[in-house]
Amino acid sequence: MKTKDVVRAQVATFVVNGRTYEELVPPNMTLLELLRDRLGLTGTKRGCSGSGNCGACTVLLDGRPVLSCLTLALLARDREVLTVEGLSTPGGLHPLQQAFLEHGAVQCGFCTPGMLLSAKALLDSNPDPTPAEVRAALAGNLCRCTGYVKIVEAVLAAAAVMRGDAAHEDREQAGGCVSW
Amino acid sequence: MHRTLKPFELLEPESLDEAVASLARWGGDARVLAGGLDLVAKMTRWEMQPDCLVSLDRIPGLDVLERQDDGALRIGPMVTLRGIELSPLVQAGWPLLAAAVDHISSVQVKTMGTLVGNLCVATPASDLAPALLALGATLHIARPDGAAAVPVEDFFVPVCSSILEPGQIVTEVSVPAPAAGTGWAFKKLAHTKACIAKVNVAVTIEREGDVCRRARVALGAVASTPLRVPTAEHALEGCEVDRDLIARAAGLAREAATPITDLRSTADYRRDMVEVLTRRALTEAWDKASEREGRAS
Repeated sequence: MKTKDVVRAQVATFVVNGRTYEELVPPNMTLLELLRDRLGLTGTKRGCSGSGNCGACTVLLDGRPVLSCLTLALLARDREVLTVEGLSTPGGLHPLQQAFLEHGAVQCGFCTPGMLLSAKALLDSNPDPTPAEVRAALAGNLCRCTGYVKIVEAVLAAAAVMRGDAAHEDREQAGGCVSW
Repeated sequence: MHRTLKPFELLEPESLDEAVASLARWGGDARVLAGGLDLVAKMTRWEMQPDCLVSLDRIPGLDVLERQDDGALRIGPMVTLRGIELSPLVQAGWPLLAAAVDHISSVQVKTMGTLVGNLCVATPASDLAPALLALGATLHIARPDGAAAVPVEDFFVPVCSSILEPGQIVTEVSVPAPAAGTGWAFKKLAHTKACIAKVNVAVTIEREGDVCRRARVALGAVASTPLRVPTAEHALEGCEVDRDLIARAAGLAREAATPITDLRSTADYRRDMVEVLTRRALTEAWDKASEREGRAS
């Protein structure tokens, strides 16, 4: 039974950043390809191109961080996909995005969308993480510019903002709050 | 360079019977898709070009992670590594398994990857295989002609292969509850925490006073399959355990290893480290077993 030439595409419903899309999708399309090439959501990056090492293609699928380059698009149908484009609101940046800006946690920016989404998954389940927990949550996201220190500081600062923890912000303004 | 996946048919059966029937019909041209981490990565590199993927995603009940009536841990084929890592049941009853999963660093990998998938990839460097060898796990396999139960040490075939044939699916891994007083340890040597092991070692020891009643010693990344070391186990069992005996058992583990030199390490270094890590693992496990016996009495 050889069907090398047969690709049975299906019309499927995708929910990306709260918006519903109906797309004709073949089985061999990855979620990354769907997001970038079909839906034009190029915030999600193609890094190591399918070896699962870099984390640049990370998106949240039903709230959990997955590698979109190794996820078949059809298996994401009828599930909630969140990409970096869905993080900010019309009212402004997400606290994580704001903190990344303020802490210089972005250099070339290529790893940033994946970092933000891994960090969001962490803070959604653990609003008050330790630096070690932040590093563990970001272990699957490689950055070749910043050296991670500022990224971890930014995530901790965003967590404080999201908790409404003014004391943390005061400590930070007084000059550095992260103990390593 | 970015490559798109070669075309294939995607089947999404809603029962295990249907999945087994589909796999049998397609024979060697089909692959089981669980988490997809290894499979889709190989397909992206065009190392693997199956005509058909049989997804387990829509089959209900395959994410079961529970203690059975006989006390054993039952792990379904869609249970992710993240699910195991975060499970209070596993942390409390099978901490060796939780420790092995902890040596896999990427949250995304753990969120997507399944324990059964890791075993079916059958890499000799698996972090989970030595842990499951040391815990005496059994794999349950569905076949077109019925079911089979296979001890994990009989599952792997050199190199990066298993006894699974086309049409067969691992439906469950069953991990017996460690006996009271069992000590354990997991040791992994790798370039960074995110890297594949150069050597890994998992051990369990059951202890009665100063005597080792039962031992299991398992190695990863130092042979053509994950490896159990019966010689080291026999050296310990029924004997009073001291530093010398542990050193002798570690030496036997070294002799059992048949590592290769590759980009991660050399065969000589791996052999040396098998001995060192086995000695450390046995010492730690023995001490833990002692603590547990102390608490129980």
